[in-house]
Amino acid sequence: MTIVYLTLGLIAIYLYVSSASLLWEGIDRKLVARMQRRMGPPILQPFYDFLKLVSKESIIPRDANKLFEIAPVLALASSIALLAYTPLGFEPLLATKGDVIVFIYLLGLIAFIRVIGAVSSGSPYAQIGAQREIIMLASREVPMMLGLFAILWRLSKLGVEKPFSLGTFYQYNIWEIGTPLTIVGTFVLLIVFLLWLASEIEVGYFNIPEAETEVAEGPMAEYSGRHLALFKLSNALKEFASASLVVAIFFPWGISGYIGLTGIAAMVLDLVFHTLKVFAVLFVSMSVFRAITGRLRITQAVGMFWSRILPMSLIGVLLLVIDVLGVIA
Amino acid sequence: MTLPFLVILPLFGAFSMPIVSLLGKKLKEYWAVIISGATFAVAAKIFYTVWKTNEIILYTLGSDNPIGRGVNFPIRIVWEVDLFGALLALTITFVGFLAIIYSLGYMKHDTGLEKYYTLVLVLELGMLGIVVTGDIFNFYVFLEIMSIASYALVAFRNDTWEGIEAGIKYMFVGSLASSFILLGIALLYGQYGTLTMSYLAIKIAENPTLVAKVALAFLIGGLLFKSGAVPVHMWLADAHPAAPSSISAMLSGLVIKAGGVYAIARIIFSIFNPGLHTYLRTFNAPAINMDVIGWVIVFFACLTLLVGNAMAVVQTDMKRLFAFSSVGQIGYIMLGIGIGVLAYGTRAGELALAGAIYHIVNHALIKALLFLVAGVVIHEVGTKNLNELSGLAKRMPLTTFFFIIGAAAIIGLPPLNGFASKWIIYESSAMYNPILAAIAVVGTVFSLAAYTKVLFTFLGKESERVRDAKEPEKSMLLPMLILVVAIIVMGLLPWQISDKIMIPAAKMLEQLNGEYILALLKFIGGA
Repeated sequence: MTIVYLTLGLIAIYLYVSSASLLWEGIDRKLVARMQRRMGPPILQPFYDFLKLVSKESIIPRDANKLFEIAPVLALASSIALLAYTPLGFEPLLATKGDVIVFIYLLGLIAFIRVIGAVSSGSPYAQIGAQREIIMLASREVPMMLGLFAILWRLSKLGVEKPFSLGTFYQYNIWEIGTPLTIVGTFVLLIVFLLWLASEIEVGYFNIPEAETEVAEGPMAEYSGRHLALFKLSNALKEFASASLVVAIFFPWGISGYIGLTGIAAMVLDLVFHTLKVFAVLFVSMSVFRAITGRLRITQAVGMFWSRILPMSLIGVLLLVIDVLGVIA
Repeated sequence: MTLPFLVILPLFGAFSMPIVSLLGKKLKEYWAVIISGATFAVAAKIFYTVWKTNEIILYTLGSDNPIGRGVNFPIRIVWEVDLFGALLALTITFVGFLAIIYSLGYMKHDTGLEKYYTLVLVLELGMLGIVVTGDIFNFYVFLEIMSIASYALVAFRNDTWEGIEAGIKYMFVGSLASSFILLGIALLYGQYGTLTMSYLAIKIAENPTLVAKVALAFLIGGLLFKSGAVPVHMWLADAHPAAPSSISAMLSGLVIKAGGVYAIARIIFSIFNPGLHTYLRTFNAPAINMDVIGWVIVFFACLTLLVGNAMAVVQTDMKRLFAFSSVGQIGYIMLGIGIGVLAYGTRAGELALAGAIYHIVNHALIKALLFLVAGVVIHEVGTKNLNELSGLAKRMPLTTFFFIIGAAAIIGLPPLNGFASKWIIYESSAMYNPILAAIAVVGTVFSLAAYTKVLFTFLGKESERVRDAKEPEKSMLLPMLILVVAIIVMGLLPWQISDKIMIPAAKMLEQLNGEYILALLKFIGGA
């Protein structure tokens, strides 16, 4: 029976997260428009876009191979699988010890499938976009993994039942430790994660692979119709899942405990509260960042990751480590 | 008793091949398929028996008792098959069978096929002999049978310059390595007067002399060459691309395992058992310090996995890239064995050995698949230069799919079989020494880069060369399909396989209680 419940839960989460993430896209577009003194589209615009794309004819380039058509499906499938490992205000559905690696793997896999789809299209624009995407992928994951593993390692010292699971954030959170070094270190890591989130969803400085004006949508150059719709949806899911990770690490508090709810009602309430927190994080990392910064060149972005963000992550991690090992009392 | 048929069948097949080939053109090919299929069945039976009973099979040639009349030491050739040997025999016959089916289509345009099939069966025979034997000179004979068959097969297309060049290079240095091994065996025989591995183990433990250490050095040196470890890997990078692809699949999947890492593991754990020598040292008795051997192997393993994978990144020849990747993967296997020696008797050591054994099997399947894919590409397009191949995916979707599965499995992506074995090796090396795990991960990063490069040539825009390529015939697709199914199925049950097969195999190889020796001793003491 657990398998049946898990499947039903996953379907429910999938439906919820797809509507929530598309809703956020609408809010984001509205907010950015207001920041630029425009009216902007209606809040539900992404839903209309999605339906329109689904109903449009999908054009397959002459040079494309089978993977061109399979890649959007695979990308969506990996995003849905990712949801089963995403903390959404409560423990992930398939929380188990070490599931953080699956989370990172699936997140990377979605980007990689996009690249495969792009390369399979045979278009040079898509090829350039794909190369940039791979370069960004290789640069951005290192500081994130370093920070994530350090925090999980720190939490596992507190005696959790499933070490290195994303579920541990709901048992202990990193602020609880409360020593000055940890707080400073966590704060540094928070900045790292906000920058990572911006590059993961490719906005602001890091809108490089998709750069509309330079390489005509990059990896997505040849996609149209329902294939594009699938990619847009999987991107929206990925956006939500990445932001959920940041929320779970740094702001895992729920409100159901204060009200005294339990069971399903508590889960629903926590999910809604979690969604609000995700929107708040995305507001900082996506809307504001997108509105106030321009795009970097690919070399500058890679340089920024390796020479600014990685050292920043290292400093944050070292502060956590020094605190645990008690080098300075 | 099915064990002798493991060697009798391919021997019979090889020797009857010249006569069978007189009877008909097609008959010799079917004969080879039948023989290798029957050998596979025998190996499966033996594997099942050993796995079920969890006991070492001891078989004496020419008698039912290895002990001579009136003496109390073994005078006959014995074969000892533990789970590790049986597992390798199963892998060898499986991949060999598929490679022979593949040859039906792949070798169609070549001449001298009766020699080809004879040599393939002899190659299989040599490898099977290595994994079943319990006699060190017998081991050498089978090693030479395997080596000479592979020299001949590498140079089989003797109208191409690269076949001859690679064959000569492989033969000259290979013979030197074999002579090192023979020298090691001669030294051991001169010092201890016996050639039976288990009895040799007792004799060496009784009186570990300098000669034993020198012999061990010669044996390890020769066998590192045969496994393609780094300072002596140059033959491999030439031999694998030059051989016909069905042979590359066997060379890379099997020969470097059976004649290389299997033999190293067998000699270290069965003749110079680390546990036995540590035990002796606790009594201040003279003993060989096996930690030194462990560190030597770990050192070469780290070198191998870094250099092999890094060299794979810069190749432009598809088969050469796969060959360097094989060198890199041998590094992982040796890392597992090395840690198995260093951390002998601990949880980390046992896991490392299980990981190494698991990776031997997984890499045999994956690399066989990849070389068969490369063979299809060469057969259909006529080039293996990655710069000329682009956009194969459109004309050869199935082959591309097989390649993607193989590449993903060798990098170690989770739903496929390469993940579990590499994970166990990472985990155990991290348990023993985190620096070794870090080196292993760096190797995987290189391997990821190399295979991503090949993947992008398979996809992408179609080049002129591949415009009229098409899928190969069924006899070439079928073996690849079977390998893909095996890779996926093994990938779905990683921990079950690890617990049920690999850990018991590692335990039997480790022989904490000297089981390998006891299997012989029960004949001596009458106990």
